[in-house]
Amino acid sequence: MSSPASFLGGAKDRLLPVSIPFRFFATACVFHILAWLVLLAGAESLPGFGGETGLVLAALHLLTLGVLVLTAMGASYQLLPVATLNPLARVWPTRLSFWLIVPGTLLLAGGMVDANTILLYVGAALVAAGLVVFAFLMADNLRRARKAMPIVAAHGWVALAALTGLLSLGLILIADLSGSFLNSRQTISQTHMVIAAFGFMGMLSFGFSHVLIPMFVLSRALPERRSWVQFTSAAIAICFAVAAMVFDNQYLAVAAVVLGFCASVIYFHLMGHAFKTAMRKRLGLSFVMIKLSWGFLMAGLITGFAVALDMGIPNGSTLFGFLIIVGWLLTFLTGIQQRIMPFLASMHTTGKKGIPPLLSELTAEVPLKIHAVCHVVALVFCATGIVTDNTYFVSFGAAAGLAGAIAFAVFAGLVISKLRKKSDQLT
Amino acid sequence: MSFTRRTAQLLHEDHRATLTMVEALEGLIVEAKRTPPDTGNPHVQNILKQTIANISQEIGGHFSFEEDQLFTRLAEFGDEAIGEHLREEHQAMLAIAQQVVDLASTALATGFDNQNWLLFKTFAGELSERMFTHIQKEEMALLPMLEELLDPETDMELAELFSQGQ
Repeated sequence: MSSPASFLGGAKDRLLPVSIPFRFFATACVFHILAWLVLLAGAESLPGFGGETGLVLAALHLLTLGVLVLTAMGASYQLLPVATLNPLARVWPTRLSFWLIVPGTLLLAGGMVDANTILLYVGAALVAAGLVVFAFLMADNLRRARKAMPIVAAHGWVALAALTGLLSLGLILIADLSGSFLNSRQTISQTHMVIAAFGFMGMLSFGFSHVLIPMFVLSRALPERRSWVQFTSAAIAICFAVAAMVFDNQYLAVAAVVLGFCASVIYFHLMGHAFKTAMRKRLGLSFVMIKLSWGFLMAGLITGFAVALDMGIPNGSTLFGFLIIVGWLLTFLTGIQQRIMPFLASMHTTGKKGIPPLLSELTAEVPLKIHAVCHVVALVFCATGIVTDNTYFVSFGAAAGLAGAIAFAVFAGLVISKLRKKSDQLT
Repeated sequence: MSFTRRTAQLLHEDHRATLTMVEALEGLIVEAKRTPPDTGNPHVQNILKQTIANISQEIGGHFSFEEDQLFTRLAEFGDEAIGEHLREEHQAMLAIAQQVVDLASTALATGFDNQNWLLFKTFAGELSERMFTHIQKEEMALLPMLEELLDPETDMELAELFSQGQ
């Protein structure tokens, strides 16, 4: 009887033990719940949030490090070796990075609530160590890749460079809490946010889209030249955005948003090409979430443009960050995760007659539908609450987000329990 | 996916035709839900006839070609696992596909009753899910391997054999 994992012909060594990606995904679900819960507790501070310590900063990092980065790590560990045709050099560092970043994120977020320097230093050190392990593993894989998809590798390299930048700025910001040596703390915190959201997470989501979207919809390969134009304009946009922050230059900020807008339009065009040539037309709820996330990316960039031009959107900077981090990145990742988890589970299980079980046997549609509805309600109410400075709207949005996060965790739990039932491989 | 080898192109075209059938079947199931569809409706008749034709004339030939001509060659190149796995999936799908053909033929002759419709929905649903995953695997793994392994002469020979079998 053959293993389902053998289908990629030689790729078995590139398929990690199922416990590796799933521990990241499952823990991200827990952090997803925690993030909305903490935001609910600190709802009144969200509209005017400017990066200061407190519950909103804690919620933000539970979401970014706990959900986005953990999901990105789990997905990268599994997908990068498949894209670059190179297995990871070692598997144990993936576990090490997990055990560093998870407690680190909890301590860091805990320290952010009331600027507790001990928790902040210990948490930051653990998170930094976990991310350094991740960066080394990814860099080593990209370096050894000979037949890699070069466009994915290029996005990966920029994401790693951004990771170095965001990590350095994050550590400087923490050190400044006790030393107060920065002239403009807000500049550094905004640069940290832009590098994290666009440079690291954004480039990873753009890069992996070049592999995942054509694979999910069974489309033709994406046009190479246009892909490089998209990559170049996105990378330059990030450089301009950083320069705009550092030099406090409005023209550079406008240029960064315009270039980011161009990169996104080309990216949508590439994804449109995938949909147009797709053999699979019925794409289900995950693609509703993915397309919705792209809508929020555009809404975020338009808000960013208005903020760069001082057009007077109330709490515009907070709205910009919310639309990008929660609207675009979180929505995109939940869309991808609900597709990937049952797929990976099916690769590690054997159903009746030795063939893999049906994907529908390994997923749970009802919790995903509940999550989708709650997530959209959360986005609309929180965004409205930010603009209108209304705590009730933010609280209602956060409560809806919390309900959605619980539903998503139920989905993940059901996938894992079905995987456990069908296989003894989850160790 | 873009393929330069003729054999890979022909298999890819076949996959596209099969997925069109699969999506039409899914559409029929989604539209009808619990109530059996009216087999007097030309649209329903057309889907059922195309399903029977696709399964009877194309899928069997496609699977046989892969098993007899491709998996054996892959085994010679030292990769037995992929052929073994895909062959097992073929066997499982052919059994389900035969049930779908039988039920669709009966429905075309006498219509769907509640019990037959429930059975048809179950088998057609499983077939479409398995077929999609199977095609995804072949498009992502098997066809790229053919691109790498086949020389132009073997490619032409295989493409001709495939066309004759269809």
